[in-house]
Amino acid sequence: MSNRVFSVILLPTAECNVACDYCFEHKEPHRLSMVLVPLLTRQLLDHLEHEGIEECEIYWQGGEAMIMGPDWYVEAGKIMDSAAEARGRRFTHYLQTNLISYSPAWDDVLRSMFGSSLGTSMDFPNLHRKLFKGGAEAYSSVWTKRLHEAQAAGHEIGVIAVLHKGSLEAGADAFYRYYTEELGLTSFQVNTPFPGGPAKEIEDEFDLDQDELASFLVELFDIWMERGHAQGVALGPFDALVHHFSGESARLPCIWKENCSNQFISVDSKGTVAQCDCWVTSYPESFFGNVFREPDLTAMLRKSPARREFVERPKHLVEHEDCLSCRFLSICHGGCPVRTYSALGTMLAKDPYCEVYKAVFGRAEHHGRTLLRQRHAEGKKPSGSAPGPGSMTTAATP
Amino acid sequence: MPEDPDLPLAFLTAGQAEAYLDGACVAILRTREEMEHWLREPAPGVEWLQVEGLIGDPEVWAVAAQGDIDIPLDVVLDDPATEFSSLYRLVDVRLARSVRLTMPAKPGLMKGLRMAASLNLAVRILPGQPDPATLEELGLAAEFYLHDSMVESPIEFFHSLLALFRGKAEGTLWSFLEQDPATYSHRDPDGKPLRPVDFVESHLAALIESAAECESCRWQSACAGYFKSPDPSYDCAGVKQLLATIEEAANEIGSEIASQEVAPSA
Repeated sequence: MSNRVFSVILLPTAECNVACDYCFEHKEPHRLSMVLVPLLTRQLLDHLEHEGIEECEIYWQGGEAMIMGPDWYVEAGKIMDSAAEARGRRFTHYLQTNLISYSPAWDDVLRSMFGSSLGTSMDFPNLHRKLFKGGAEAYSSVWTKRLHEAQAAGHEIGVIAVLHKGSLEAGADAFYRYYTEELGLTSFQVNTPFPGGPAKEIEDEFDLDQDELASFLVELFDIWMERGHAQGVALGPFDALVHHFSGESARLPCIWKENCSNQFISVDSKGTVAQCDCWVTSYPESFFGNVFREPDLTAMLRKSPARREFVERPKHLVEHEDCLSCRFLSICHGGCPVRTYSALGTMLAKDPYCEVYKAVFGRAEHHGRTLLRQRHAEGKKPSGSAPGPGSMTTAATP
Repeated sequence: MPEDPDLPLAFLTAGQAEAYLDGACVAILRTREEMEHWLREPAPGVEWLQVEGLIGDPEVWAVAAQGDIDIPLDVVLDDPATEFSSLYRLVDVRLARSVRLTMPAKPGLMKGLRMAASLNLAVRILPGQPDPATLEELGLAAEFYLHDSMVESPIEFFHSLLALFRGKAEGTLWSFLEQDPATYSHRDPDGKPLRPVDFVESHLAALIESAAECESCRWQSACAGYFKSPDPSYDCAGVKQLLATIEEAANEIGSEIASQEVAPSA
């Protein structure tokens, strides 16, 4: 069995219980029927078997994933996990939720199916995540209450923050303090925004000046290294980058994978298959097919003309962009297709955040090398250090 | 017939490897069908598969990324200048099995090296008898290997030469590049060895006897006349500079390590 892990961003519903300004998803009231879970499971297991992959990560998202209710997940998880076990495979489940409908009724399934760990989202300042009634302020209040309740129940919570103009105006210090001090989080990550789906007026709020964004992220990086890194605060994607540059094994985010098309797909409640949740909810022209209508997921992925463009994108970029001469190619590979597509109308170009990434990579390299020197001075070895000229092996036979 | 552990590793076509019973071998594969067969059912004595001329076929690499049999691959490029971008097809393959790239030294080599390094793939460069343009490219390649922080996997022959100059390895360029017939037996289409097992010894002896520049060359023990083959009149001035660059780096590493070992008690 290979070391590959296949990931599926699974959207059991397109429904949502909140009204965020910038949401690019088409929120129709459709849910994944339990009757179809065995078929979906069989398709996924067939694909894993065909590819020689043992583990499949399922990232349950929405819409709002908690709309399905805890009992639905208990049953779906049972169907999927028992089928996987019977075929010598395994599913690992993750849950991404807005937390608004969290209650203690979720605790059992969060523990048994999701390892008492879940992901949620909150921006700082929160201007755009809104309840249907009460707006952003009410959203923040309810969300914070639910966060603390879930933390009190013993769940590990990771928070994704999407940056917007207000974040940059507030500054990196206030931003960092909000998540670590006000919310008491030890794990969060920052995402760059992108205008997925049809254009909206609110998109101006997320059209960030590249220099300002780079400065903000570099400052945030420095603050985290000074106050959080050694204290056990995980701040993505900086933590993975520091691991990379200090010689430790690192799992970089999907936007910087060698080729995201090799590693995951997204499936919505109707069985539509696309590259990721951004594509499956926004860009019908890029759908790969339907897992409930086509008999063989592997064949669908192999034959899909839409997927071919994803597969060939990194190859195209090193041939036509300046990526090959970039010293950070090994950790970027041209960046995210959907960020590119949503900004430029084509994915066959490098990520428009290229210069921002370079600034962040440069800072990560500085911090990573500093850590390496410190460890060396202290006589410590990094875990999982990569081979290289210093390892002094002889001929590199395969 | 029992395998003889002292026999050199035989490089055989797929058909020859099927019937080979004398010891360990490398199967050279040139078609999609051969790849599919050998990935599924490698013969017991096969150490790795040498894949030639197939980097442009995406189906081959989709198959190579599957399966439970972890047989290593040596993927041979003909022209790194035009084939470099196809290395993205190996992204999943390297998770399923060990992959090493072999590429000839020729203009455009750096594209292949940069791409390979970005995917963390080990590389073997076959230098041949490089012309001035290729020497320039090899110089850039050596600098890239020695000083670019993004390089994490070995690039041969630089890697083993560096180890040799550091006193951490033994051998010659012939062995580092898997071309010493005493250890690596490359064959003709009929399966007969291209060179006798004592080729390196006799080749070097002949060069010294003919008063070639090898006689007084300070790199003689590392090179063993590698760059005088096939043309013994090849002018080695350029490759000597290349070897000096690697030796200089080895000395710098040695000095740095020595200074760090002394520092704590100073």
